[in-house]
Amino acid sequence: MQEELASALSKKLLEVGIEGKVSNLEPLTGGASKEIWKFEISNAKQSTKMILRRGSGIEGPLAIKTADEARIQKEVIKVGAPVPKILAVSKNEEELGDSYIMHFVEGESIARKILRDKEYKKALPILAYQCGEAIAKIHNVDINNFSFLPKKPAKDQLEDLYSTYQSFEQPSPVFEYAYLWLKEQDFGNFQKSLVHGDFRLGNIIVNADGLQSIIDWELAHIGNPLQDLGWVCGNSWRFGKNDKVVGGFGELEDLLEGYNSVSKLKVNKEMVKCWQVFGTFRWGVICLIQAYAHLNGTINSIEKAAIGRRVSETEIDIVDLLFLGGE
Amino acid sequence: MIFDRPTSSELIKAVMDFLDTKIKDELPPHLAFKLRITNNVLGMVQREIDQGETLQQEVYDAMQNLMHSDELTTKKLSELIKDGKIDLKDEDLKDLLAILSKNKIAVDNPNYSTYKKLIK
Repeated sequence: MQEELASALSKKLLEVGIEGKVSNLEPLTGGASKEIWKFEISNAKQSTKMILRRGSGIEGPLAIKTADEARIQKEVIKVGAPVPKILAVSKNEEELGDSYIMHFVEGESIARKILRDKEYKKALPILAYQCGEAIAKIHNVDINNFSFLPKKPAKDQLEDLYSTYQSFEQPSPVFEYAYLWLKEQDFGNFQKSLVHGDFRLGNIIVNADGLQSIIDWELAHIGNPLQDLGWVCGNSWRFGKNDKVVGGFGELEDLLEGYNSVSKLKVNKEMVKCWQVFGTFRWGVICLIQAYAHLNGTINSIEKAAIGRRVSETEIDIVDLLFLGGE
Repeated sequence: MIFDRPTSSELIKAVMDFLDTKIKDELPPHLAFKLRITNNVLGMVQREIDQGETLQQEVYDAMQNLMHSDELTTKKLSELIKDGKIDLKDEDLKDLLAILSKNKIAVDNPNYSTYKKLIK
């Protein structure tokens, strides 16, 4: 099977003028709905590492098409946001399936390693500022290039999330409270932006110098730019480092300083709070979606079964943010 | 109780120990990752068996104070909130939601950072 994949890869690359032999093909653990393969392509002149990212046929419920991820990466690289360069895109009906090939970026994406290993110790204090800058660059992209992306204003998303939650008929008093609270919030009337939708450790590549690349664009949409800032500040993405508000590694002040240095918006801490609650509620509903994919028999998976019991993590985070002085 | 020892909790503990001592090191990395999840899941079941009743009773007691209803369930509480029957600013409601959340996570994941912070 790997030989077939290698041959399909070299054929596809030849179409875009990259000639060579594919070797060292290895699967990497990707998201739940995507396959990720790392490989090398070598010819007489050089050897280059690349990544194949391929839809597995089981797309996440909020996810965009794999080929559309490639279209986004091609645009945001132009404004200087760090993303891997796209080399080739394959349509669903082609041999490689719904997928694209991009440059391999050296570094680490596994959150716990980035937070724990010595190698990244100097990167962590500057990472929040760098993330702020990068997120602001994404938000500055001209959205006229992204007519293919779904438009998701805050209030619409909130209604969608709430009705998705309701559809599972597993009532949560905390979610009911959060929904009513969120309905009353002012999410800010900002210019519509390209929103990454899942910016956090796990979806960025980091090395000793800090942020190298932003990956995993499957939840991208057009919406309120503050969503990305609130999301990365949710406790769900701090990986146990509760006191580091930004992704378990940084301070909110640094994230906003980086963001405001690039963006026309001047975002302050207070504006992020309701987006933190929003993001936590959103992650809770995504956990429900995953768990019920298992419970309904769509996918039999121990991971998806286990994630059903992570809904309570988002409930206690919401309670902490709303009543107990959590940040 | 008509069932002998090992109790259900002790049986789960035996399975967890077996997976941890005999199986874990035999597995390739991607399966070792799934085994960790499996062990976490068994831990949830074990805690629910051991502490579930007590944790649930604490929540029911807190519900009794606030809900004035014969039906003390999360479903009923959800409806009361949704229908505006309880003021969102009610401190007893906030306390109830706090104890509900804490007691759920105490079974699901007592190592969760927010829980550890809050029980300190």
